[in-house]
Amino acid sequence: MTRLSPGTLRILALLLVLVLVGAFFASQIDNYLNARLFNRISSSVAIVALIACGQTLVILTRNIDLSLGAIVGFSAYATGALVTTAPDLHPILLALGSLAIGAGFGLVNGLLVAYAGVPSIIVTLAAMAIFRSALVEFSGAQSITTDDLPQWLVDFPNLPLFTVAGLQFRAAFVAAVVIVVLVHLALTRLRPARALYAVGSNPDAAEMAGIDARRTVLAAFVAAGALAGLAGLFFLARFGNITVVAGLGFELKSIAAAVLGGVSINGGSGSVIGALIGAVLVDLIENSLVRWDVVSEFWREAVLGLLILSAVTADALLMRRLTRLRIRREKAAAPATKEATP
Amino acid sequence: MAVPVLALRDVSKRFGATQALSGMTLELFPGEVHAVVGENGAGKSTMIKVMTGVHEPTSGTVEVDGQTVTLSGPRDARSRGISAIYQEPMVFPDLDVAENIFIAATDLGLVQRKGLLRERAAQLIARIGMTLDPDRVASGLTLAEQQAVEIARALSQDVRVLIMDEPTASLSAHEAGRLRRIARTLASEGVAVVYISHRLEEIFDIAHRVTVIRDGRHISTRPIAEVTPQGMIAEMVGREVGNYFRKDASHATPEVLLSVRGLSQEDAFEGVSFDIHRGEVLCMAGLIGARRTDVALSLFGIHPATGGSIAWKGREVRVGSPREAMALGLAYVSEDRRKLGLAMPLSIRSNVTLATLGKVLTRWGLVREGRERSVTNRYRERLNIRMADADTPVGKLSGGNQQKVMLAKWLETEPQLLIFDEPTRGIDVGAKAEVHDLIRDFVRGGGAALVISSDLPEVLALGDRILVMREGRQMGILAHEEATQEAIMRLATGQEAAAA
Amino acid sequence: MTRILGPWETFLLVVLVLIYAANAWISPEFLTLQNQVNLFQLSIEKVTIALVMAFVIINAEIDLSVGSMMGLSACAFATLVGEAGVPAALACLLCLGVGLAGGFLNGWFVARMGLPSLVVTLATLIGFRGVARILLEDRSIGSFPDWFAALGQRGLIGPIPLGLLSFVLLFVLLYVVLERGGFGRKTYVIGVSRDVAEFAGLDTARHKILIFMASGLVAAYAGLLFAARVGAVRGDVGQGFELDIITMVLLGGVSIFGGSGTLTGVGLAILIVLSLRNGMSLMNVTGHIQTGVVGLLLIASVLIPRLGTRLARRSPA
Repeated sequence: MTRLSPGTLRILALLLVLVLVGAFFASQIDNYLNARLFNRISSSVAIVALIACGQTLVILTRNIDLSLGAIVGFSAYATGALVTTAPDLHPILLALGSLAIGAGFGLVNGLLVAYAGVPSIIVTLAAMAIFRSALVEFSGAQSITTDDLPQWLVDFPNLPLFTVAGLQFRAAFVAAVVIVVLVHLALTRLRPARALYAVGSNPDAAEMAGIDARRTVLAAFVAAGALAGLAGLFFLARFGNITVVAGLGFELKSIAAAVLGGVSINGGSGSVIGALIGAVLVDLIENSLVRWDVVSEFWREAVLGLLILSAVTADALLMRRLTRLRIRREKAAAPATKEATP
Repeated sequence: MAVPVLALRDVSKRFGATQALSGMTLELFPGEVHAVVGENGAGKSTMIKVMTGVHEPTSGTVEVDGQTVTLSGPRDARSRGISAIYQEPMVFPDLDVAENIFIAATDLGLVQRKGLLRERAAQLIARIGMTLDPDRVASGLTLAEQQAVEIARALSQDVRVLIMDEPTASLSAHEAGRLRRIARTLASEGVAVVYISHRLEEIFDIAHRVTVIRDGRHISTRPIAEVTPQGMIAEMVGREVGNYFRKDASHATPEVLLSVRGLSQEDAFEGVSFDIHRGEVLCMAGLIGARRTDVALSLFGIHPATGGSIAWKGREVRVGSPREAMALGLAYVSEDRRKLGLAMPLSIRSNVTLATLGKVLTRWGLVREGRERSVTNRYRERLNIRMADADTPVGKLSGGNQQKVMLAKWLETEPQLLIFDEPTRGIDVGAKAEVHDLIRDFVRGGGAALVISSDLPEVLALGDRILVMREGRQMGILAHEEATQEAIMRLATGQEAAAA
Repeated sequence: MTRILGPWETFLLVVLVLIYAANAWISPEFLTLQNQVNLFQLSIEKVTIALVMAFVIINAEIDLSVGSMMGLSACAFATLVGEAGVPAALACLLCLGVGLAGGFLNGWFVARMGLPSLVVTLATLIGFRGVARILLEDRSIGSFPDWFAALGQRGLIGPIPLGLLSFVLLFVLLYVVLERGGFGRKTYVIGVSRDVAEFAGLDTARHKILIFMASGLVAAYAGLLFAARVGAVRGDVGQGFELDIITMVLLGGVSIFGGSGTLTGVGLAILIVLSLRNGMSLMNVTGHIQTGVVGLLLIASVLIPRLGTRLARRSPA
């Protein structure tokens, strides 16, 4: 009997799909697996993975955050404005600033969801619009352009840290992966973080067991906001030109990555590593379809939609099968133990 | 005696217009098993919620060790050593047993140490005399195992007052017995155990003292030796009742309505064979895990059987959905009113006509509200449903009246065979007798009833014949004349294979 | 269900009257018939879809794919008429068929496969949009027959264009179906508890599929309305509409958990959002800020009743 948990199985299955998709396109496209593909995907994943990681934290608690895209946009603009007015600001301080901006918005969401008891889909649906209009108000509908930014920031996403087998690992990507791994370690090893799973798994039981469910949910929203804030800084560094629509659509993209990565929309199960791989898969497909001759690049959304649908369907069918197997196995094992007790 | 570890003093609690508790007084001492009994709606659950800090009393005080305290919530109560376990255990399906036990522990540091957790969990589980792998994921646990996890969780937090709210309602006799032993062991270790149960024989088995409450008031607290079952029931209902389980003669006719042969379902049950005659009440007895509900669900087409045959009035049929079952003339009154039986926020009348909506629709598919009201009022009189009017949300009625609304819904389908699953669970003594009368009226009028019940006196009172199941197998069918509680239990526990 | 106005609807009505009074005070043009028609006309696709979305949410599901379905329908129409030379009337029917098929797809995965509608319709939000992009890529198509454009732009009865007329008719029809009809009753029951409905013999899967099909159909119709009204179609038609539509429904007092809410409330919420936006436009407030104000209103709509009950609980009886 294998002792692999369903969670580990999911990750392995996802990696397999990743390899299969890569192999398929490698057979279709000449000179496919090259450094450029890796660079493209890695610089895009650097942003999406952070947001998907935050989204996962929120979904684990049986909530959802539709405002993350707006937070990314606001943070991108605000950090851009900050660094424009104070070009000598230390990078670490700028990063902390972006985290703080995001955490602030996350705090608003979290307070309304956890303490005022408003369903998260309503809060964050409204927050998405409110944060976006805050951005319009704050920016005065002005844009930030690459020319306004200090050179180090523009260089940051492309800064090669180290090279493995000819693939450049650039700063933003490495930073994002390190953060996701840290969050993963925290989620699996830190006792307070386990409360996230407990609250999403059974909110009533969490309350009865003496877990502070409200604080846990609040923490998830603040953390998600902070991660989206940092993603905003990465967004600024990568694109340079920031308008009031920056980050639009990231909320749904992050949910897609998380769901693809095996995070249960009903809370309580999933991992941020899965969400990271989900984000990679999304980008791999998008970038590959652009270069595939058989269909135009405009197929990418249709394929992505299909992929999500098949992933959740396969997962649901698989889980059903596993449950049945388990019941049968327990039944097979049951008589022996039951006869032993009078 | 010494200072009570937990005491309620003159506690009142009202919700809007409803006075749930008035002047409730209760003292709990270390080392006692204190039973609390009362009809449904007597205020037991409100009392638990005051003791666990879910509700703040409107007036009166809560004392811990003689000190007046304000419990801010379940967490605060837990930190003072007050825990409660419920009929529906509160576990986290996605976490393993060890994590479930220690999820809220504050003394295990910041970093999770798997080995330590497992070891401590094993100790606690051993202390309550269970065997359970700490690595198992909770979603696969049985109800009894989930309760064990909850008790272990309470023990991990140095419990001083353990409140058990109908803990054995869904357990088999064997499991219930083990749970009672756990309760007694904890009491002998100095824990004050509050034991709430509808099963009087359990209370006489386990309690040191008994408190009777009625209408949110404290009626009496006595040592168990000074209490008799008749006296206790009288105090619960406020009047002397005779033997409320009566049994009249059988109305069974020779006509076979439903004939089941070798019915089986993968993973659930196998080899179930019986006939039900028109005018007959066939009871299904057995312990939890006997899979009686699964048999009912397959007859009703929710989970169609995978083997065997069903014949309806001599003709073989396949029941693939509730709609097909209803078309034959079957109805299934579920044991779970809240989840499967009634749409609680909706009006009484929309619940009564739920299964027969087509009968009150116009040609254009519109609901004839007048007809709906008159149908509802007819059942209100026939079943003696106590309600303000037909537009009241059904969730506002008491348990017994909800049960009658559910029954009305199914009677309106004009069924010939009514399947009742635990028809009187969690409803008060008076309503119980009424439901029994209704079942007997129904079969006297030419119907037939299949009654699943874990309440042995009920099974003996109602059943013309009694089918006993154990772990998915039919152990035998007893005629009413040969059935005794002991005979049924021998079959249900597998100590005796039946002749039939 | 018997009372026309519950407490929430009454509250919405008061808010609506206040907004109308304020708008009329700010601008004398606000109350003119033409402005009232324009008010609807500018968002006619959203408000039309919102009426069916109310059914979806009362049924305890959600349909995020309506904006994409709207875009798909509009793009399919443009491709069929502008590039394949299909007669416009036939193209309309085909597009409505696409809406039904897309709705069936959503419904089937939700009701028969048991997947959460949030996930399924998120996937089809991306997928339907994807098909729309495959059809039009980055082109814009805009040469539609005159009669078709006239339906979208000119008054059909007096100054009232087809879109507004169909909205009013659809409202009346759906009001009767939801509040008086057997179908509406089933929608509520399934929304409260699918299990209760299933055990009472209702075919809940079929009902859910029907509702998703209605949602797809109306979204496709809205796409056609858009094509007729604007006269040109691109791949991004209807993008992001789903969130505005859901906002209107929730503001109308429909519970996100299903089982409660009325079409009267949704109708009032639609009027509030439209008149609020219109009033802010008259005051030169930009679109993003308008959306923000509607967002604040949405949160307030959940907080206000909650505060109300809390106050009622505190006050001594």
